[in-house]
Amino acid sequence: MPKERARLWLRWFIVVVGFGILQGLPGQGLAGHILDMVRANGKVRVGVSEGLTGFSWKDAQGQWQGLDIDLARAVAAAVLEDPNKTTFVEVTSTNRFPVLLAGKIDLLLRNTTYTFNREAAMGILYAGVYFHDGQGFMVPAASPIQHLGDLNGATICFAQRTTHERNLADLLTSRGWTYTPVPADDLKELQDLFFSGKAQVMTADRGQLAAIRAQAPGGPEAFRLLPEVISEEPLGAVVRAGDDAWFLIVRWVIFALIEAEERGITQANARTILTTSTNPADKRFLISDGLSEKTLNLKPGWVLRVIEAVGNYGEIYERHLGKDSPLKLERGPNRLSKNGGLLYSPPFR
Amino acid sequence: MLSEYLQNIVIIVVFAAVILAIAFDVIDMLLAALLGVSILIIFGIFQQRDILNVTRSAGGPLALLFGGMVVARVLVPTGIFEYVGSRYVLLTRGSGKRFLLSLFLLVGPLCAVLPNATTVILLAPIIIRVARTLQISFIGPMIITAIISNSAGLLTLVGDPATFLVGSAIGMTFLEYLQRVSLGGLLTVLVLIPLMPILMRDIWRKEVSLPPDLHPEPLLRPYLCLFALAILLLMVALFIAGEMLPSRIVPPAVAIIAASLGLLLVYEAKVDHVTDVLKDVDWRTLLFLITLFCLVEAFAKTGVIQNMSLYLHAWFGTQFLFVCLFILAFVGLCSSLLANIPVVAIMLLMIKGYLVSSQIVPETALAANFHDWPTTTLPIFIAMMFAGTLGGNATLIGASANVVAAGICATQGQTISFATFLRYGAPLMICQLLTAALYVLGLHFFLQ
Repeated sequence: MPKERARLWLRWFIVVVGFGILQGLPGQGLAGHILDMVRANGKVRVGVSEGLTGFSWKDAQGQWQGLDIDLARAVAAAVLEDPNKTTFVEVTSTNRFPVLLAGKIDLLLRNTTYTFNREAAMGILYAGVYFHDGQGFMVPAASPIQHLGDLNGATICFAQRTTHERNLADLLTSRGWTYTPVPADDLKELQDLFFSGKAQVMTADRGQLAAIRAQAPGGPEAFRLLPEVISEEPLGAVVRAGDDAWFLIVRWVIFALIEAEERGITQANARTILTTSTNPADKRFLISDGLSEKTLNLKPGWVLRVIEAVGNYGEIYERHLGKDSPLKLERGPNRLSKNGGLLYSPPFR
Repeated sequence: MLSEYLQNIVIIVVFAAVILAIAFDVIDMLLAALLGVSILIIFGIFQQRDILNVTRSAGGPLALLFGGMVVARVLVPTGIFEYVGSRYVLLTRGSGKRFLLSLFLLVGPLCAVLPNATTVILLAPIIIRVARTLQISFIGPMIITAIISNSAGLLTLVGDPATFLVGSAIGMTFLEYLQRVSLGGLLTVLVLIPLMPILMRDIWRKEVSLPPDLHPEPLLRPYLCLFALAILLLMVALFIAGEMLPSRIVPPAVAIIAASLGLLLVYEAKVDHVTDVLKDVDWRTLLFLITLFCLVEAFAKTGVIQNMSLYLHAWFGTQFLFVCLFILAFVGLCSSLLANIPVVAIMLLMIKGYLVSSQIVPETALAANFHDWPTTTLPIFIAMMFAGTLGGNATLIGASANVVAAGICATQGQTISFATFLRYGAPLMICQLLTAALYVLGLHFFLQ
């Protein structure tokens, strides 16, 4: 290459690099790559179940509905100032972690039990528990199986590679009972196996069972849940490890929903409380002084946006799982701690 | 900041432009790579954390190269290269065929104990000397040396960083590797030999009469040579046993220690200036490799490799044989344009994800320390070892040993262009991957 041309390139290169340096490499702060990408994409990509009433399912208009969906919208409202800036990706119980780790989704909200092995070994973090569930059993209403003790010798279907599979094996093996396992790849196959009579019993989280029962052929009355629960299944919101800011935002959005219920702040009254309440703590909760927001790079008023978008935790629960839903699930452990449940939020101060 | 979609487009366009600029010799290849990285910085795609990632992935290989370059340079005033070179010339008896065949005997064993690029650095002065005596171009032999050194990395578990990465990820021991993979590695090296008369016809047929009075040249400074060789031996010993010491010394640290001792020797012996030794380090090659690592780091962000792996289950189900063949082709192709370590690191996670999605292993297999892989899955990982290592043979930028070989040739006044390397490398890599495919095929049926 002629020297002149080389010099020209070199000059151009110096200008380019100089400009790059002047701009400065984007700084780290607490903001990480997932949060940056969520902002750049203008949407939160959320992995949800393939269709589970109450948690994540499409209504007659093709709109996603459910507890998982509202949580995702709450996160979008906090980060992107718009609860509709979400994309839902259907994942199965077997591909949910590979899809999350491959970076195809930013957040996993799919009936995923919080366990030590998962969090310690797999490069994922649970940002919080948003539904306390337990593994139960469903049988046809006419089945002779009334209690756990009747499961000896039964044909039982379950989703493969889930905590349910292991819990079931542990329980029956420890009691010296036999059973015929009928594993399913996904939720649809699980329901097909059970409703076609290839399995006498279906085991899953009680929330899942209630959702399946609500949509069961022949109506919910054709099936019943056994009274026993064999495990604790805290369902959590899962993120990839390595982005503290993203992890903290998801975690505190969940806490904000619980705290709002605790304070009696609802979707309907949030703005009124902000303007008329005499309790400064409520105002600080809804619009904080901004230091934490700056650290997490959140626009002030994120709690207000979250509550106005989806309501508080109790409202979301009743809408999708509780008395206002086809499932009619009791709140049980998902009540606030002051009401005898397991839910409470660390202080917002 | 650009959206992920736009970022991916910019990265792919920049990456393709850099490769094409290098391939068609549009501008200087270092400049092309630097400009590519600069564009990524300006668009906010390449950030501080990416630089940290590059430091993590490139630091080791660069330290190895720097150490190798310094030790090789320290050996120069001893006259050892002239001594070994003249003996090598005598060994060839003026035959190009003997020269090429002896390259295999020389490079293979050395690569078992030394990193690939370090081997190329140490052997280059000898090979160039022999080639000049035989009146042949040293370009071909240098390319073959780089390719043999890359391929010979498959002979043992620790022969190549990519091989070691996969092996350690699945808990394969040194002995298990010897039992299941080494034979395949040997075959991929041996398959190069019958191709020599075709690809290097001129050298293969070359016969020159050596002067009857040709004798081995004496060492210029025997004592200095003794100390320098002691440093080299210490380096080899630490490469082999350094990680077993109570205070673990990893190969890049070994290279830095050896380089420091080499510089101390030069300083004390007063045969050279430390500054002169450092001036002779091929900084241009080191800088080029850094920029390549930066581009690979950016390319990994596009998710192209991740996407491919997620489709594996949809395309092939649990037909492992097809998965193995796909990996050989896909990883081989990726590795021919990207540094193999990051390619293999991403692919490893994705293959684990595929096996979890296929319900062959539990979800905890995604953990780094999961080693309970079913035997039937081993051919998939072994295919990845072959593809990651051999893919780098195809192009000039596929492996650090190739870049180093080109850098050394450039300092000797001859340029290895992208096209020149491709002319030798691509057919050799294809033959090697076909051999690897046959081996993996056999292994698949054997393990079934």
